[in-house]
Amino acid sequence: MRCGVDIGARSVEVLLHDGTRTVDVIIGDSLRDPRGNAEAMFRQILERNGLTKEDLASIVATGYGRNYFGHATRTCSEIICHARGVFHLHPDTVTIIDIGGQDSKIIRLENGKPVDFSMNDRCAAGTGRFIEMAGDILGIPLEKMGEATRDGDDTVEISTMCAVFAESEIIGLLQGGIPRERILRGVFRSVAARTLGMAGGAGVAAPLVFTGGVARNMGVVRAVEAETGLRVVVPPEPRITGALGAALID
Amino acid sequence: MINPFEYFATSVGAEIDFVRAEKRRGKGVVGIYCEFTPRDLILAAGAYPICLCGSSRKTIPPAETVLPVNLCPLIKSSLGYILTNGCPFFSMADLIVAETTCDGKKKVWELIRDRKPQHILELTQKVLETEAWEHWLMEVRKLKIRLEELYQKTISDDDLRSAIAAMNRERALLRDVMEYGAEPRPVISGLELGRLRFRVSGMPEHHRMLLELKDALEERKRKGVFAAAENAPRVLVTGCPMSEGTLKVVEIIEEAGGIVVVQETCSGIKPLDPVSEEGDPLTAIAEKHFRIPCSCMTPNTGRLELISKLAKQFNADAVVDLVWQACHTYNVESFQVGEFVRKELDLPYLKVETDYSPGDKEQIMVRIQTLLEMTR
Repeated sequence: MRCGVDIGARSVEVLLHDGTRTVDVIIGDSLRDPRGNAEAMFRQILERNGLTKEDLASIVATGYGRNYFGHATRTCSEIICHARGVFHLHPDTVTIIDIGGQDSKIIRLENGKPVDFSMNDRCAAGTGRFIEMAGDILGIPLEKMGEATRDGDDTVEISTMCAVFAESEIIGLLQGGIPRERILRGVFRSVAARTLGMAGGAGVAAPLVFTGGVARNMGVVRAVEAETGLRVVVPPEPRITGALGAALID
Repeated sequence: MINPFEYFATSVGAEIDFVRAEKRRGKGVVGIYCEFTPRDLILAAGAYPICLCGSSRKTIPPAETVLPVNLCPLIKSSLGYILTNGCPFFSMADLIVAETTCDGKKKVWELIRDRKPQHILELTQKVLETEAWEHWLMEVRKLKIRLEELYQKTISDDDLRSAIAAMNRERALLRDVMEYGAEPRPVISGLELGRLRFRVSGMPEHHRMLLELKDALEERKRKGVFAAAENAPRVLVTGCPMSEGTLKVVEIIEEAGGIVVVQETCSGIKPLDPVSEEGDPLTAIAEKHFRIPCSCMTPNTGRLELISKLAKQFNADAVVDLVWQACHTYNVESFQVGEFVRKELDLPYLKVETDYSPGDKEQIMVRIQTLLEMTR
C-alpha cells in the first residue's frame, strides 16, 4: 500500500493506492493549520483502513506544505505529481491545466513525462482565490457558479489582471448595471485566458486535461473550451490527481 | 591563516582598507557598474576600477522615493546606496564610468550627476555592423582622453600593455577557478563561485588568494570532497548578474539538490575572455569588451553561441534563466533562449523572473525541483 499526501494552499488530499486502484481518499481544508490537518487526515485514513504507518511502502508528500509533513518518505514537486496522476488516468494526455487555490499551472507532457511547464508568479489573478473573491462581490457562492453561468454566452471583458484591482473593476461593472452572471462569465474568461497565456509560444494541444479545485467549476471549464476550441477532459475528482501521482511516484 | 573561501566571502572589508590606503598613496579610484567598462584602461591610468554597490534589497525603498517601483532591483539598489551614502567606494571614487546599457540606467546617471564626476560610455547596439564597432572604438578612445585629463598623465601603449597583462592574469585566474565546475564531480559549488566575485580589480591580495583557492580545490580533489551528491543535476545559469546578497536562485538550485556548474552571466564566466596582447592595445581592449554578448545588443546571437559552448564544456543537464524584474532586454530575450535551449540543445529550461526579496522562495523552489526532476 502506498500513500500520497498533497498539502496545497486551500486543501489537503490524502490518498491510499494499492498498486492497481485507489483504495481510499480524504479531502479536507488546509486553511490556518495545514500541518495539523494533514496529520489528522493521515491518521484518519490509516485508522479507517485498519493500517499502520509501517504498512505503507511509501509516503510521498507534495504541494506547498510538502516539506513540513514529517511522515513523508520523500517529497516531490506538485508538477511532477500532477503529471504522474493525470498520466495514470489519461495516458494520452498532452496538456494539463491545473488551477488551485493559490496557483495555476500548465504542464506539457510527452509520453507521460513533463517536458515543459509554467506557473503563475506571486499573484492571485487567474487562481481559485480570484474566483472566490469575484463570487463574494457578486453574491454567487462557488457551488452555484456553474449553474448561474450555464445559459447564455454573452460576457464582459475584465481587463485588469491584478486580483485587487479586478475587485474595483467588478464593482464598477455592477454599478453600470451589467448582469452579475455576465460579469462572472467575464471573470471565467479572464482566468482561462490568463492561464492559457502561460503556455507561451508552444500553445496548448489536445488531449487537454483540467485538474485542481477550479476544474469542478463548470463555468471555468466552458471558458477554457471557448478559449482553446478544444474539448476539455476533467477527471471525476480533479482535486486528487496530485495526491494520486504522489502515491504512484517511485 | 584565513581560508580563501572565507576571504572572498568577506573581502569587502579588506577592499575598503586597501583602496583607502592606496588613495592616500596617490592612486586613483574609478567606480564602474558594468562589464562593458574596460578595467584595463582604468588600470593603465594608474587607478583602480571598482564595481560599485548594488546588491542589497535594503537600499531599494530609499531609491523608490525617487524612482518608479517597476524598475529593475539592480538599478534601484545601486541608486539607493548612493542616496543613503551606503557605498564607501562611491564616496572614494574620483570618477564614475557609467554606460547606456538600458533605459533605466541611462536616466539614473542624470540623477546622480551632481554627486560625482561621471563619464558615460555609449554602447552601440547593432553589434554586427562596422559603424557600431567604429563608434565603440571612439567611445573607448574618449574614455582614455578623459582619464588622461583627470589624472594629468599620458597613457602610453606600454601602460596599456602592462594593464592588459595584469587584467588578463586576473581574468585567467577567475576563469581557471570557474572551470573547476566542468569536472565530472565538481569540488566547488555554484554558491562558492558566486561569492568569489570581488569588487576591486588589480588588488594583489586577491590574486594571491585566487592561487590559494586553486590549491584548496586541488586538495578537495585529492581528498574526494565534492560540492554535490553524485549525479546531482548540473545546471547552467544564464541571464542577469547576481552577487553576494542576490544569489537566491543559486542557493535554491543547490538546496534542491542540483549544482550550478557555470554562470553564463556577467557575474560568471561571460566577461572573462582575455584581451589580445597582439597589435594596437587600445583596439584590443575595445574589441574584447565589444564582444560581450549582452541582451542590450541586437541581434544578440553571441549569447546563444556561448550558452551552447558552455552547456557542452560544463556538461549541463538543465538551464535556468534568471531575469530581474523589469529587466526588459533579458526578459524579452528569454523567449529565444528558451526555444534555443529546448530545441537545439535538447535540455530542460526554466525562466525565473524575480527580484531581491526572499518572499517567493517557495514558489521558485517548486519550479526548480520540477526542473531537476525532469533531468532524471
